Amino acid sequence: MQIQLENLMPVPLKDKLLQRDSGVWNKEVIFTPGSFVKIKAPSGTGKTTLVHYLYHIRYDYTGKVLVDGRPWQSYSRNEVASMRQQQVSIVFQDLRLFEQLTAEENITLKRVMLPQPYCSAEKVKEMAARLNVTHVLQQSSKTLSYGERQRIAIIRALVQPFQWLLMDEPFSHLDEDNTQCAAALIADECKARNAGFILTDLDNDQHFSYDVHYHL
Amino acid sequence: MRPFFELLKKIIHTGVGKTRFLMASIGLGIAMLLILVAIQVHSDFNQLLYSTKNQNETADFLVINKKITNANMGQTGKSAFSPEEIDHIRQEPFVQAFGLITSSQYKVVVQAPGDLHFATDMFFESVPDSFIDVKNDDWKWNAGDRTIPIILPSDFLNLYNFGFSLSQDLPQISQETVKALPLQVVISGNNISEQYIGHVVGFSDRISSFLVPASFMQWANEKYGTGRAAGTSRVIIKTPDPSNPSLVKFLEDNGYTTNQDKLKFSKTRMIVQTIVSVVGFFGLILLLFAMLVFSMFIQLIIASCKKEIQLLVMLGTAPVQLKRYLLKQFVPLYIIIGVLSLAILAGLQYITATILAKHEMVISPWPGAGVFAGVAGVLALVYLVNRYTVNAYVNKES
Repeated sequence: MQIQLENLMPVPLKDKLLQRDSGVWNKEVIFTPGSFVKIKAPSGTGKTTLVHYLYHIRYDYTGKVLVDGRPWQSYSRNEVASMRQQQVSIVFQDLRLFEQLTAEENITLKRVMLPQPYCSAEKVKEMAARLNVTHVLQQSSKTLSYGERQRIAIIRALVQPFQWLLMDEPFSHLDEDNTQCAAALIADECKARNAGFILTDLDNDQHFSYDVHYHL
Repeated sequence: MRPFFELLKKIIHTGVGKTRFLMASIGLGIAMLLILVAIQVHSDFNQLLYSTKNQNETADFLVINKKITNANMGQTGKSAFSPEEIDHIRQEPFVQAFGLITSSQYKVVVQAPGDLHFATDMFFESVPDSFIDVKNDDWKWNAGDRTIPIILPSDFLNLYNFGFSLSQDLPQISQETVKALPLQVVISGNNISEQYIGHVVGFSDRISSFLVPASFMQWANEKYGTGRAAGTSRVIIKTPDPSNPSLVKFLEDNGYTTNQDKLKFSKTRMIVQTIVSVVGFFGLILLLFAMLVFSMFIQLIIASCKKEIQLLVMLGTAPVQLKRYLLKQFVPLYIIIGVLSLAILAGLQYITATILAKHEMVISPWPGAGVFAGVAGVLALVYLVNRYTVNAYVNKES
């Protein structure tokens, strides 16, 4: 699955963004399948907006987001759903867990969305152990700390098949150790799938061996 | 799909407005029952009217003639049916068999034998044999026979026995005696007058006339008749259902008349049909409201879970999955309601059949095919409306 941007420009930020030089906005960008992409951006330059455009949950832009050569708009709702189940996964900045479910149920929901789950329940337990969240799996996600939720959201993103993983400041509430664990897990899972990721963050980091760097 | 739906159950609460939902379910049940009752009563009624088991009760013979009014009184021709009118009657769907009543074109005088001192001017008519309700081997006439078999109306003997004889101090006569009496029949016309022996072979409740075999009538009309064919002024029809409103309307529209007593059932039937239609109509109205409430209920669920549905879709849940899940919450209930209504109706039908059987009216103790079609139809309609609502609102929110 190839993602390609053509003169992408968010309508609400247009005036502001035209005044500064960007590596992504209003440019031709091709994200090569399987590559680890880091997008660094200061606050307010449209980081989350970009991720939402890439995931096709915001549409207020000019230009195009092409997926396998076709603009997102040409995909039907059910096609988009199927892609979100099998080709593209996401860790939202605001996590977006269901508060009425336990941590484990939040992961299972995504896992069994496909009639034939990609991951087994044991595999989920294994990932939870690697991220040190085994003890909170049975808790309601409402009662979790933000850091715990962030790790649950990461596991949720990793239980499905994907070719691209979108991450919006995925380690913002994790300490250094947990960040290392999470990054290692993500790298392993991406390699296992021959998948790439697009990660946005405020600063430079050494969590992954990135293939490409962009400045927003 | 199952574990996913289990989790959806925790996210999309279908429990909101439970009482409203219950009321709508009861409403749907009642609506379904009313519609089914209307269909079933209609089918029962048809069985009573047309089924071979009940045939004797309903199939009937009607003698039809034009109304004699002050306007056409005294003009014989006016009361006769034209060939077009006869064709017209013959072609009506409610006419199963059709026969002309041929009247005699000669004079008839009948005398009782012996000391009875009874003589009267009379007339004969004939109808095709298949319309006659008297079965008797003597009912035949061959050229040369001096004995003419005659069928009298039952009413005629009753009039004599209970009206005339009592007031005139004459003896009452039984049907058997009348059949045993050889009557002197003098037929005259064409300047010939001949005597025959009349033999009463039976009494008819169906046709109020003095009947002779058609073969005799044809022969006698030729021999004694004036030659000009008299018009047909009475016809007899066999109809499967004398209460058929279209028959009654046909008669009224054309100014024809018949034994009104036989048409009386028609009014009852129209009343029953009206009531059944009204019941069915209320059923439909109720169904409409039940569907409205269900639709609103689905809207309510979807609106109250708007955020959850949006997040589910964001995470990759296909709208198809959501729709299937939502429909799955309702459809089993509809099927249960359908089966329950069907069971209640089957019970009612069984009870009705038992009660009617005591009155020698036969209807099937099982619900008719129309009822099953009705259940399927209503369920399909409810399902389609639900699917439409779910579709529209899931698409709106996702």
